[in-house]
Amino acid sequence: MFSFTKEQKVFEISGISIGGQPGMYPTVLFGGLFFKGEPDFDDAKRHILTILELSKQTGTPVIPDFFIRKVEYIQPIISLIEKVLPKKHPFSIDVIEPSIKIETLERLDEEKLLSRMIYNSIHIGITKEETEALQKHTPEMALVVAFNPKDRSPDGKIEVLENSAHLIDTGLLELARKIGIEKILIDTAALSPGENSGAAIAALPVIKEEYGLPTGCAIHNVVEKSRWLNDFPFAKKTVDVASNNAIPLFGGDYAIFGPIENAEIVIPLIAWQDILISEYAENYFGVSPIASHPRRKLLK
Amino acid sequence: MIEDYYPWGGEFTACSPKGCVAVVLLNIQYNPPESVAIYGRLKTENIGIEKIIANTISNPYIRFLILCGDDIRGHRSGASLLALHKNGIDHNHRIIEAPGAIPYIENLKEEAIKRFQAQLNVVDLIGEKEKEKIDEIIADCARKEPSSFGEPYIAIRIKPEATVSLTDKRALHSRIIFDYLGNVKKRGE
Repeated sequence: MFSFTKEQKVFEISGISIGGQPGMYPTVLFGGLFFKGEPDFDDAKRHILTILELSKQTGTPVIPDFFIRKVEYIQPIISLIEKVLPKKHPFSIDVIEPSIKIETLERLDEEKLLSRMIYNSIHIGITKEETEALQKHTPEMALVVAFNPKDRSPDGKIEVLENSAHLIDTGLLELARKIGIEKILIDTAALSPGENSGAAIAALPVIKEEYGLPTGCAIHNVVEKSRWLNDFPFAKKTVDVASNNAIPLFGGDYAIFGPIENAEIVIPLIAWQDILISEYAENYFGVSPIASHPRRKLLK
Repeated sequence: MIEDYYPWGGEFTACSPKGCVAVVLLNIQYNPPESVAIYGRLKTENIGIEKIIANTISNPYIRFLILCGDDIRGHRSGASLLALHKNGIDHNHRIIEAPGAIPYIENLKEEAIKRFQAQLNVVDLIGEKEKEKIDEIIADCARKEPSSFGEPYIAIRIKPEATVSLTDKRALHSRIIFDYLGNVKKRGE
């Protein structure tokens, strides 16, 4: 447990704050929906209600992360957001296909939902059309992924944030700001085992000390790609869930924890971890947690 | 030893070491026949493609690379691999005319890519998911009985060695230090 010398920024979106010194704000969780197969909206509704309830109970903020795989899913997913999520609750949208990204931005703008949206994500594969669409329909917050195909170390991740490793004209942070996004969350790009997967965790304190920006990652991806774990089905889920602990322990601010089905385990786990960090951070560094922190909610 | 033929390792199935066909599985549930040299899934348009190159040019008996199944959404890894074979990479190491999101080849020398282009005939079956049809094409390739391309080309070899090389600078990372009070500071400040 530690404290950063660099001033740490805290960004707020629809009532949820992300960032700051370890121990002050709870770790924010992103739970993924619709990553596999056809979307099941009844199931999604059930899971969203569960995370809202657990979040209320523990103080750990949880944001649903909607994966949009096909154009025809855009409208029903927007309807789900409007009907099921509270009017002041943020959400994030994860799309790979550039054309679907653009259409989703347009539709969210029409529905006046961009102020609650976290764009997942800006990376060096950004197209000219995507940049223009983001300038026209600017989301409140965006994840900027520090994936550098040339260098997967923490230094390489900083290089891509600074100058895009010269793969595109502008550094990713400058690009996001040029688009008009000030609330930037840095994603340290967790890669497969064998591809310097540990660098995503080691980069957390390095990048926070470098920029003071909220930083996290989807360490769950490393577990998912650890195929050898398929031979240990009982352990796999535990490893998947527990991997998220490394993020707050290394000073990170948020965890994209994978399938929302794991929320019932991940939320209390991270609440527990945050309490541990907060107790020390307050006693030693004098960093007190906010009123909604799990330590205040759960330790009476 | 499998490691001798495929030095990068990875998630693939090695079958007949002297088979002339390698099969790249995109979005498809299919197990190629045991007569092929190697098969495995391709997910990403950068590291995934690099592994395929390294693990095919290392076995000179492999002369055909068959891509089958629907392409990977967004990544367009299959089409990016075709583009690499056809066009190579530009000065920025980007695959020329690749449709994928981040199609960069960073861990292989240009020589390895040239070897890949020369050694392998790529068979584009992207979109094809019928087992019988793919089996037939594999059999067609095998019937041609192409000769070996010569010496293996070892682009990358992962050597499992236990070594320790620690310096104070690398306590966590050379950019930051933790002082004894637990404060994180940028080095040199």
